[in-house]
Amino acid sequence: MVYLENMFVSLPKTPEVEHLKQELLSGMEDKYLELKREGKSENEAIGIVISEFGNIEELTAELGIQPVSPEETVPVLTEEEIYAYTTAKRNAGFWIGLGVLLCASGVAFLIFMDALFENYAISAANRSVETGAVMGLIGMFVLIAIAVSMFIYSGMKLERFNYMEKGFQLPYTLKMSIQHSGESFALTYRIAIITGVCLCILSPVFIFAASSINDNYASYGVSAFMVMAGVGVFLFVYYGNIQGAYTNLLEKHQLTVEKKQEVKVVRAVEAIVWPLATAIFLFTGFVYQRWDINWAIFPITGILSGSFSNVYHIMKSKNPS
Amino acid sequence: MISSDVIRGYNDTLILYMLLEGESYGYEISKNIRQLTEEKYVMKETTLYSAFTRLEKNGYIESFYLDENSLGKRRTYYRITPPGLDYYREKCEEWKVTQEVVNLFIREL
Repeated sequence: MVYLENMFVSLPKTPEVEHLKQELLSGMEDKYLELKREGKSENEAIGIVISEFGNIEELTAELGIQPVSPEETVPVLTEEEIYAYTTAKRNAGFWIGLGVLLCASGVAFLIFMDALFENYAISAANRSVETGAVMGLIGMFVLIAIAVSMFIYSGMKLERFNYMEKGFQLPYTLKMSIQHSGESFALTYRIAIITGVCLCILSPVFIFAASSINDNYASYGVSAFMVMAGVGVFLFVYYGNIQGAYTNLLEKHQLTVEKKQEVKVVRAVEAIVWPLATAIFLFTGFVYQRWDINWAIFPITGILSGSFSNVYHIMKSKNPS
Repeated sequence: MISSDVIRGYNDTLILYMLLEGESYGYEISKNIRQLTEEKYVMKETTLYSAFTRLEKNGYIESFYLDENSLGKRRTYYRITPPGLDYYREKCEEWKVTQEVVNLFIREL
């Protein structure tokens, strides 16, 4: 009885309305079954039931429900819109993930070039050391520029769906089908996340391996570590975005204002902490040449910002003010 | 089939009449109205259920659940209350007067 669902979608979900909906459904079922018994076809029976339904305004007037004013009505999503949204999220995940990977590669490239020229040019003129650093810098900035344009591009693509932040309604059948495809995606998601975690955990191995061969190789190890961790992060971002699309569609309309504020605060803190970490990373690298240990700032920042968001969440839920 | 506009003020009366004979449920009432009027008047679902809501709020009818033995389906049944009966009589009187008044303005052409 999708028809009835759609008729009721604009009404507040009070117990009274729910009860009335059940009553109507029961009455319509009775009528439908009787029409079938009389030998009507399914389509005919449904047609008659719908034509004799009446109009929903009559009920809302009786219940004293104000017809929901236009600016308060939340849009009901269509199948096409949901498809467009999930596709956009998937693409955005891909481009953002790739962008992160490029950023990591950029930094890796810089360290690599720096180390390469330093190791092989000790005997040669001092100039070539600088050349390495300059080339590395150029390479890094080019890669980061490409990455940033990817971020902007995918951000613009997603902008169209900003209205969904304000809330929306899903017809019941669509909700079921999203739930279904979300469940079938869950396994892929889990595998991707586990792979990503493994990559991130294993990536420092390069550093230890390289530095055990030769201290000078430690920088190469750091480069490899950054790229591998970048691949891991790519997996997080890409599959996380697809999963996020499902979560948003199924749970967004239950998101409270408080929760939204919490997300905002956490994001704001992250926006400060991560560039700061990067700045410290680059500074200690160039000024003190400590590429071998300063990479540790990223996992540390990751753990700290993660625990901050958790602690904040717990504090918030403890005293709901 | 007559339009629902004309009969609007008497939907409640129709339903109360159907309940005079004994308790009943939504579909049965609408089916009986349809048969009684020889399909000249078919009460819409929303009309029927908003009338139930209104009548119950005013205390003219009361509802209770009854399990249907054959199907195992739970139905909401309605029965008329003493105030409902009073209200029904009132409406009958009102209709008689209304009919008289309107009849004054009806003539064959």
